This record gives sequence, structure tokens and C-alpha cells, in this order.
Amino acid sequence: MLQRALTLSAGLILSSVVVAQTPQTLTVYTHPSFAADWGPGPAVEAAFEQRCQCNLEYVVLESGGDILQRLRLEGDSTDADVVLGLDTGTMETARQTGLLAPHKTDLAPLALPIDWQDELFVPYDWGYFAFVYDTEQLPNPPASMEELINAPDDLKIIIQDPRTSTPGLGLMLWMRSLYGDEAGARWQQLSKKILTTTKSWSDGYFSLFLEGEAPMILSYSTSPAYHMAIDKTDRYQAAAFREGHYLQVEVAALVASSAQEALARDFLAFVLSSDFQRHIPLKNVMYPAIDLGEELPPVFNRLIQPANTLFFDPATVAQNRKDWLNEWLNAMIR
Amino acid sequence: MPVNVRTPFRHPGWRVGPGLLIAVGILSLGVAGLGALLWQAPLPDIATLWSNRYLRGVVTFTVWQACLSAALSLALGLCVALALIRRPAFPGRALLLRMMELSLVLPTIVAVSGIVAVYGRQGWLTALLPDWAQGHWNLYGLNGIVLAHVFFNAPLAGRILLQALEGAPASQRRLASQMGLTGWWLWRVLDWPAVRPVLPGLTALIFTLCFTSFAIVMTLGGGPNATTLEVAIYQALRFEFDFPQAALLAIVQLTICGGLWLMMVRRGVSTEFVSRRDWSQAIPRPDSTGLRRGRDLALLLTFWLFLLLPLGAIIVRGTPGLVSALVHPDQPLTLLAQATWRSFVIAVPAGCLSVLAALFILALPDQPGRRFGRLAPMATAVPLIVPPIVMGTGLFLLLRPSLGNSTQGFALVAVINAMMALPFVVQLLRGPLREISPATLRQADQIGLLGWYRWRWLHWPRLRRPLALATAYGIALSLGDFGVIALFGTPGQPTLPVLLYQQLGSYRMELAAGTALWLIAMLLAVFALFGLTDRRRQPLRPHNDGPTRAVDNHHA
Repeated sequence: MLQRALTLSAGLILSSVVVAQTPQTLTVYTHPSFAADWGPGPAVEAAFEQRCQCNLEYVVLESGGDILQRLRLEGDSTDADVVLGLDTGTMETARQTGLLAPHKTDLAPLALPIDWQDELFVPYDWGYFAFVYDTEQLPNPPASMEELINAPDDLKIIIQDPRTSTPGLGLMLWMRSLYGDEAGARWQQLSKKILTTTKSWSDGYFSLFLEGEAPMILSYSTSPAYHMAIDKTDRYQAAAFREGHYLQVEVAALVASSAQEALARDFLAFVLSSDFQRHIPLKNVMYPAIDLGEELPPVFNRLIQPANTLFFDPATVAQNRKDWLNEWLNAMIR
Repeated sequence: MPVNVRTPFRHPGWRVGPGLLIAVGILSLGVAGLGALLWQAPLPDIATLWSNRYLRGVVTFTVWQACLSAALSLALGLCVALALIRRPAFPGRALLLRMMELSLVLPTIVAVSGIVAVYGRQGWLTALLPDWAQGHWNLYGLNGIVLAHVFFNAPLAGRILLQALEGAPASQRRLASQMGLTGWWLWRVLDWPAVRPVLPGLTALIFTLCFTSFAIVMTLGGGPNATTLEVAIYQALRFEFDFPQAALLAIVQLTICGGLWLMMVRRGVSTEFVSRRDWSQAIPRPDSTGLRRGRDLALLLTFWLFLLLPLGAIIVRGTPGLVSALVHPDQPLTLLAQATWRSFVIAVPAGCLSVLAALFILALPDQPGRRFGRLAPMATAVPLIVPPIVMGTGLFLLLRPSLGNSTQGFALVAVINAMMALPFVVQLLRGPLREISPATLRQADQIGLLGWYRWRWLHWPRLRRPLALATAYGIALSLGDFGVIALFGTPGQPTLPVLLYQQLGSYRMELAAGTALWLIAMLLAVFALFGLTDRRRQPLRPHNDGPTRAVDNHHA
């Protein structure tokens, strides 16, 4: 421990010496939808580099799961200073690796639908899972999960697999939070409406939903914001469900072995500033983690407002995920 | 003739060394990946696999859909190849060949959207069906899986089998023509001996492709009833960090696919056939007239439509996005241009490297009973059989210290892409390389045609065309790759497929469709270019051991 502390401080001294000549580089592990040219990544990078006189570098991994996987494989020798792109489904596993350090960021600016007091994870955006429907094919969508489950079987929906996709897992938790131990039976009823279960959100959205294969797809309540603001069409809307919607929160965290702890902490604090958050609504198509006030694009006021926020504590999810997945599997393959 | 002493690369070590090195390298990657998982945790009891109803179902389903898909792909591929060899002047032949080459390398998400547009619930063809039939047709389920697998693999089978059929020795073709052999006898005497050597490897290749298929199976499979082993491995590794489970499933996959390869490789090697290609002109086949003619044309036309319709759907969907990117030259166009450049910077070296590696591996002596006899063919199968995510872990552990800046990152991606293309490239080159008769080889030994000169004068003239095709496949496979590049994490510099997925992930669906179309145009350009150089060079063929008249001019 002592040795590690020494190495760490040596590293810090060294890096602060180096700073005099070349700017420090902050390495952030993230996923493609954040770092893409259309995502918030480039604008965030420019804004942070301007204030820190440093170099921000993204290493883009396929998904949140991959970020975690890479971190585990690299352990203490990782290049990452910050990981950005984990979510409420993966953060508990990440916590258990012991590779992350407390952020010590002031969480007061947060404006989430739930109370957030985590010492490791800083939320950077959030959203509700919802079924997005095509108003041309389906003028009167179900108004609750119950209605969807009891709808005639010719109403087809596309969902994602909870074993490979974040929204897929979200729907599983949604069902579980609504029906508890009855969830299996409800899944069996729902299964007759499921046209197909895709590996990822993109597979379903691009290849099937926009081709008109089914009038409803599991997505986010914020998806219509993009269609309304950028595509300038009101055709795709989210169906508001009476029982409430399940919440997803995306988070960032500090890597314990980072040689640039101070800079990394600066970045985490920056995450909760409006210079970071203003790029979230239309570029990540999610709700910003802080109150943006006037800066929130007007289309966000036209989105559904769930009456009820459904959310399991991440530790509960981590504990039960396997059992719940098996419950889902057994219901679906019957 | 060259003087022996001066012959470059004459030492027998040159024939064995590099190939052996590559084969051992690939095998150790596979072992390292699996080893890394086992090192993390001990293997669970194999009995858990059979006691778990779900896992049992997964294994059964995976094998069943792969058998069905492979059998249908091979059957259709063979019929098409036979029809094509009988109809050398079929008007759409060149275009059909290009499309056959293209289908395999299409990014899955794009191909699936094409297939859905034709056969889906709102599909073009589905709409033509009478009402009662529409009720019975359902794309989602085994139907869709098999249909998509046939779409991807039947053209590959057809392409490789056609190449084999074209290699049938002229003496036999002449004989068949003179004797007026048709039907069963023609097949027995001429076609079967020509396809037999490539059939085992091809079967193993296509079976493995269907066995490890993942995104297609999930998208078109309907639900978790259609789960392949690969999905279960992905789930265990990426979401549950259940290394023992992943290792166990990977071992099951290795056993089934590896066992098949081993069996096929053994058969493949033992079929030594007698006389070889001798570049004579096309000899009319006795069965190329009459009733068969109509039947062949009907088959080719149907197959043509089978490939063209989904492609057409992709074109229709992608045109607006591509046009708007081209007409408003702002950010999207620059990104597209940069991504295209980056893609080629990776793909061209990857394709060439893959062909070079394949040649070295095929240069290894593989007669039965010889050392390394099985090592090499097995090694080429490893990139296919070992799940990418397991392989990625192995690679990561082996290469981790040397990962540096993005240039190195791109070089690494190129090397891995080359490795992933190896199984295909080897299939394309094995036949032509093995076709030289023992007599010719002995003769070459006697006159001291060795090393570089042996390659230049004995093999090169026979291999030029297959090499062009193999290089095109190598480049195109790398061009369309998404998995490898996403595995390693690249700084924000997308290649074309990465750009496509970024656009999809950011709701840029129209742009994404445009990018997909552009990617397809690039793939097509690669195949057309290599097809073209090949045709131009034909008449310039240097003197060789057969009649000088170039063969198969009709082959575009």
C-alpha cells in the first residue's frame, strides 16, 4: 500500500514536472454514441481542453460492457483516467472490481428524478425506457403496460435482448418492477406480441422499425426529440404508460490508478457544468443531468412526462440479474 | 533456366518456415484467449451443460440451423455454379459474379435491412403474395435465419465451386464432349472430380459461418428460442463476466466446429486427383443445349433476383442520404471521405497480407502422414471457430504492451483483419495451388525449378486469377469489418463501418443508409477492379506448359 502510494505520488510529481513542457493528456474510455462526430464527444472535448490547457483523448470501445471488460483486463496498468458510459445496469459490477476511486464531486447541481448520493459514480445523463410508435401505423397506442400485454396479438412490437442490450435489460427490469414474481407469466403473455428480439437497439431501429416491420419498438422516451428537432417530423412518438417508466442513468467515474487524479477530478466536475451538459439533449438524445433552464431545447417539453419513476437500486439489480434473466428466458422459450 | 545457386528463397526452410510461423502464431492466439479465461477461473463441470435445459436447447438449435443453412447454401451454390459453367455466355454473367462476391462481405445490419425490405411483413415480395399465403409466410424464425444464411453463403459456395469447375482438365472435358456424356455420367466423370477437392473445406467453412452467426440469428430469429452458442458466450463474457461458463461454451463450439474441420481436412487432403488444369480453351459441354438451357436460364435468373432484390432495396433506401451528403458538401462528406481513406489504408495491406499468409500456409507440405499436415489447415480455421470475443481477449493479453499510438492501432487492426480473412482466402487458393500434377512437380524438381523461380514460372501463371479474386475478398472483408476495429478501441477516427454504426447510434438513419450504400459501392469497386486487371492480363500471359491460347475469356 505504502509502495503504491509512493509510486502514485512519484507519478504525480513526475507528471506535474512534465506539464511544464507538454500538456497533460487525460484518457477517457467511452462508447461510440458519445464519441461519434454527431455525439457530444467532440464539443465536450473542445470545451474542456479550452479550460484545462490539456489534451483530452477518447478511447472508443464498443459498449458500456466493453469499457468494464477492458478495465478488468488491464487492472492497475490501465491507461484510463476516467470511464464514461457505464450505466445503472453495469455500475455495480464496476464497483466490485475495486478499480475506481471516489469522485469527491459536489453532486448538488444534479437534477435527476431520483435522489443520487453515490460516492463513485457521477451521472452525466438519464432517460426513461419507452415504446416508440409510428403514428401512421398505430394512431391509438396502448396507454399502459397492462394494455400492451392484453392487446390483440396482431399488434407487433420489437424489443432487444436483455442479454446483449441496455434497453433490453431495461424492459426486463421494468416488467420486474411492475409485476414482481408474476413477471414470468406476464412475459409469456407479452411474448405473443413480440415480432423479434434484436441484439442491439440499432439492429431493431434501423433494419426493422423504420422499414415499417412493426409499429412499436422498445427505445427511450427521448427518441422522439431527435425526430422532432432534427428530422422535423412528429411521426414517431413515445407511448406514455400509466404505471410509469423505468429509469436509466448513465455515469462517469474516476479510475483509481490514474496518474492524473487532479485533472480527472476537474473533468468529473466539468461533467456537471452547463458547458458539458448543453450538448447532451440533442447530441446524446437523453435528459441532461442538471437543470439547463432556458438552454433545454423546446422539443424536450413536448416529450411524455412519466407520472411514476420506476427504479431498482443497482445493487439489487446486480444481485438478481442472473435469476431474473433466467426467469425471462424460461418464460420466452416455453 | 536460372542457376540453382543464385535462386532466391531456394532453401527448403523458406517453404516451411514462414507458413509454420504463421500457423503456430494463430494457434497460440486461440490458445491464449481460451487460456486467459481458464486462468481466471477453473472450468465448471461439463455436466452442467447437459443438465441446463436452456443450454442444451442452444447447442441443439445452433447445430440444427447451421446444418440446414449449410446444406441449402451448398446445394444452391452447386446448382448455380453448374448452370454458370454450362452457360458461359449468359448475358448477366459478369454482373452476377460481382454480386455473388459482394453478398458475403456486406455488413450484416445492411444486408438484413435489405432482406427485410424484400421478405418482411411489409416486403416487396410479401406484398405480391395472395392473402392466404401472406398469413402463412413469416420471416421471423427459422425461415429468416436460413434465408439470410443462404443469401450470404450460397454465393460464396457458388463462386468457389465455379472456380473449381473451371479448373477441370481439358483432356477430360474434351473426352466428355466427344463421348456426348450427359447427366449422371458427365457429373461422375467431369464435375464431381473437379468439385470434390474443394467440397470438404467449403462445407466446413460455411457450416462454421452459420454456426457462429450472431446478429442475423437474433434479428431474424424472433426470440431467445433462436440463440446460438456465440450469443451465450457473448452474454457470459460481456455482461456477466462469467469466465468459466464462457470457456465451457467456447470449448463446446471448438469441439464441434474443430472436429468438423479436422474431419474435412483429412478428407480434403486424401483426395489427390490426377491431372490438372492445362489452360485450354473452353470446350462446349454436351449438356449445354436443349431443355437444360431453359432450365439453367430460369435458375440463374431467379438467383440473380434473389441477390439483386435486397441490394436494390439498400440502394433505394440509401440514395437520398448519399445524394444529400454529396450535394451539400459539408461535414458529412468530409467525414465520408476521411473514413473511406482510412478504411482503404487498413484494408489494402490487410488483403495483401492475408493472401501472402495464405500462400505461405498452403506452401506447407500437407500430404497425409507428413508433419504439420493438419496443423496448417487447422490454424486457418481458428479465426472462425474461436469466438471473436475470446480471440480478442487472447490478442489483448498477448499484444497489450505494444499497443501504442493510433498508427500502431491501425496496423494491428490490419493484421487481425488479415487473419480473419485467412479462412476464406485459403479456400480460394487451395484448389488452384494443389492442381499441379505430381508429374509436373517432379519435372520441375529435375530441372531445378526451385525457390522464387518455381513460384514465378510454375505457380504464378496458374494462380494469377485466383489470386486476384482472393485479394479482392481479403480487401473487401477487411473493408466491411466492424468487429475487430471495435474490439480494440480506436481513437475517434472512424472507418466506414464504424462511421455507419456511429450514425446508427446517433439516430442519423438517413445518413447511415447513405454510408451503407457508399460502402457497398466501394466493395463493388474492389471486386470490379480486381476482376478487370485480371481480364486485361489474360492475353499477356507468358508462355506456360499448356497451349498459349488464353482460357475463359468470358470470365469477367
